[in-house]
Amino acid sequence: MVEKGVLDGVRVLTLEQVHALPWGTGFLADLGADVIRVESPDHLQDRKAGPFPGGKAGEEWWNEAGNLVYYGTRNKRSLCMDVTHPGGKEVFLKLVEKTDIVTDNFRPGTMQRFGFDHESLSAINPRIITLSSTAYGYTGPWRRAGSRARTVDAACGLSYLTGYEGGPSMRASNNYMDHSVGNNVAYALLLALYQRNRTGKGMRIDLTMLETGVTAVGPAILEAQHGITRDRLGCAHWWKAPHNVYPALGDDRWIAIVVSSDEEWERLKIAMGSPDWAGEDRFATVLLRWQNRHALDELLGEWTSRHDDLELAQRLQRQSIAAGSCLTAQDLVNDPHLDARGFLWEFPNPQAPEAGPRVFAGRPFRDPGNPMAITKVAGLGQDNSEILSELAGLSSADIEGLEAEGVIFSAPRPDEPRP
Amino acid sequence: MPRILSELRVLELSHRPSGAFCSKLLADQGADTIKVEPPGWGDQSRHEPPFIGGEPHPDRSSTFLAFNTNKRGITLDIEQPEGRNLFLRLAKSADIVVESFPPGQLAEQGIDYATLSAANPGLVLVSIAYFGQDGPYASHRGDDLVAQAMGGYLYAVTGSASMPPMGTALQQMEITAARNGAVAVMAALLRREQSERGAHIDVSTMEAAVSTPSGLIHPFTYTGRNPHRGGSDGNVMDGMHLPTLDGEVTLTTAGTGGRPMQAWAEFLEEPGLLDPRFATRGGRMEHWEDLHALVAPRLAQWTNLDLMRETMARGLVIGLVQTPRQVVESPHLEERGFFVELDHPEAGPMQYPGSGFFIDGENAMAAARPAPRLGEHNVEILGGELGLSLRELGLLRAARVI
Repeated sequence: MVEKGVLDGVRVLTLEQVHALPWGTGFLADLGADVIRVESPDHLQDRKAGPFPGGKAGEEWWNEAGNLVYYGTRNKRSLCMDVTHPGGKEVFLKLVEKTDIVTDNFRPGTMQRFGFDHESLSAINPRIITLSSTAYGYTGPWRRAGSRARTVDAACGLSYLTGYEGGPSMRASNNYMDHSVGNNVAYALLLALYQRNRTGKGMRIDLTMLETGVTAVGPAILEAQHGITRDRLGCAHWWKAPHNVYPALGDDRWIAIVVSSDEEWERLKIAMGSPDWAGEDRFATVLLRWQNRHALDELLGEWTSRHDDLELAQRLQRQSIAAGSCLTAQDLVNDPHLDARGFLWEFPNPQAPEAGPRVFAGRPFRDPGNPMAITKVAGLGQDNSEILSELAGLSSADIEGLEAEGVIFSAPRPDEPRP
Repeated sequence: MPRILSELRVLELSHRPSGAFCSKLLADQGADTIKVEPPGWGDQSRHEPPFIGGEPHPDRSSTFLAFNTNKRGITLDIEQPEGRNLFLRLAKSADIVVESFPPGQLAEQGIDYATLSAANPGLVLVSIAYFGQDGPYASHRGDDLVAQAMGGYLYAVTGSASMPPMGTALQQMEITAARNGAVAVMAALLRREQSERGAHIDVSTMEAAVSTPSGLIHPFTYTGRNPHRGGSDGNVMDGMHLPTLDGEVTLTTAGTGGRPMQAWAEFLEEPGLLDPRFATRGGRMEHWEDLHALVAPRLAQWTNLDLMRETMARGLVIGLVQTPRQVVESPHLEERGFFVELDHPEAGPMQYPGSGFFIDGENAMAAARPAPRLGEHNVEILGGELGLSLRELGLLRAARVI
């Protein structure tokens, strides 16, 4: 929670696991909303998922994972409470009275089983906005199916279109769709708040990963209706050449080069020192370069393989040619541009001092009026007492009672297996 | 029901998919979005293949059609003083301007944020550039592939460990930048309701790429290991694509109560999967070819939709590797009413994707319009709304301003 952010005064209760939804509510937390992550003591996978300092989970492993800082509980508060226990359910419903948004990413049916479906919550608080983030949605024959982000990369058409030239389809990513959905969650919730400022009424949002994914392959969806198929081309392009990844000096170093016009090709030739092959007729026009792109890629690759990729990218950019190294995470952490732009955020997690300060990716947008930073990360159940006394009106005796009854927790159960 | 952003006007000065997709997200929620294109040629994507119907035609590029729904279109040469003045007149009545020029180009044309903001203090200007508005690479040339490279995506995410880096299809970094831009716009609009002040938002496509596959920066700073591509190599149970009767599928070990091989052996009726060599993830990777030889023939007996239905019934988690055609014909999306038919005068009727979320059961695309033809709304907007006479419009056309 950022002091006096634009969403100051907006409260979100989120029953969230894994990646997509926490990524989405993280934007609201960065913008100043009071995002309360309601965590189950029986589902601590996110806190076990790491990454851990040096790859090893420490004594207080449940507060040490880097993913918590990157999205899990960053700028959020944590209430570790069993909402399936009648006492937990009662507290949750009290909190709903003082809440603007309730989000979940359970499969359809779970919120209803808990008594937390939109109709029930709306009866308590007519201004409530609920958002359920699922793979396939609340309706349709696949509504009960489970998912991972990569299975939805597949289902939406993206992975089918992805692959090396002439090769089989390949999964597009491990969790690209988590981020696309997270962004869409943030967008939908901000839209809902904007709308509620006008109407005063809450609403129910059924947001799906599959549909978010399909919007990202829109052109192919239209083409398919006219029998147009897209061949897999790896890093090559439908009409541009050179447009690929080329080897550079060193182990597993590569540079991407994109040429979109004859002028750019002329500049690239000069940058290469005008070798004889580059002047051959078979590379003289956009069309010829595309038709002969395999030979072109090989000859260009012979040249790039003699150069350091970082230096070569700078040199080509000075000739106004689109080029960039295939940067590794280590390169990115040391990248002067990202550093100059303040994109690399260092955060010392006070919940896990042993871990020391670590560097995280920042937000890819800047708005001086809406500054964002990581100001806190919530340890497991760290905010139980504060939330329950301030928002649910419970006394310290009530809170101790809930703890004794096994409704709220500030550490994993003693028999919880370590990651 | 009026759509959420129907009181807002967006001007789009964009020649990249990032800007086009960002303003599409706003347009699809009802914002009156005017795409401002250079006269004669229009948006670059109008000229990029493939084209619906085959032959090149500026109104039939699939990329243009897909990313410009719900917009009205005018042509305006903002490099000419008359064009610039008309743009500034439009900007006075606008809430948001989306642009994706190289940094500094808008200022050269005399329409930088200071000018826009002086004319309209509440205006939100969104600038999407490959490397953002400042920093050592700000003037560098970009491209989706370069953003995938410099965003770490190529090295670490898609592709095989033993092969060169390889990216994902269809300009996903442009789309990710656009989605971040739309979040920033909504945050700026909410703040404007409190302060009445607009904003200049600086979106970097490279940074959108870095922040997107979250397995990059902090896993390195926590563990010292550089994430590397190849996560689906030899990963039969959790990443590889495997053929079915009418397509492909990718399996997972999720939903098996921690006993993946038992669950899949039972489902596929293949007791060979219980071989102790396959009991651990490491063992499955080491003996992946043997595992593949057992699993693939069993899966190849299933059709995609049958496989989805039966695994779902047992709580197993798979992903059908659907072709775009299978997506369009998906019975699931049909029942949800996700696709909406729009009839474009040049490209004809087609099914277009909805927005990715339904609010109170409504598909925001239900009242949609297809992408504009080049200059389609010149008379309606410049004549009808700015009050130019037909004679003035004729003069502007002769001078190639519109």
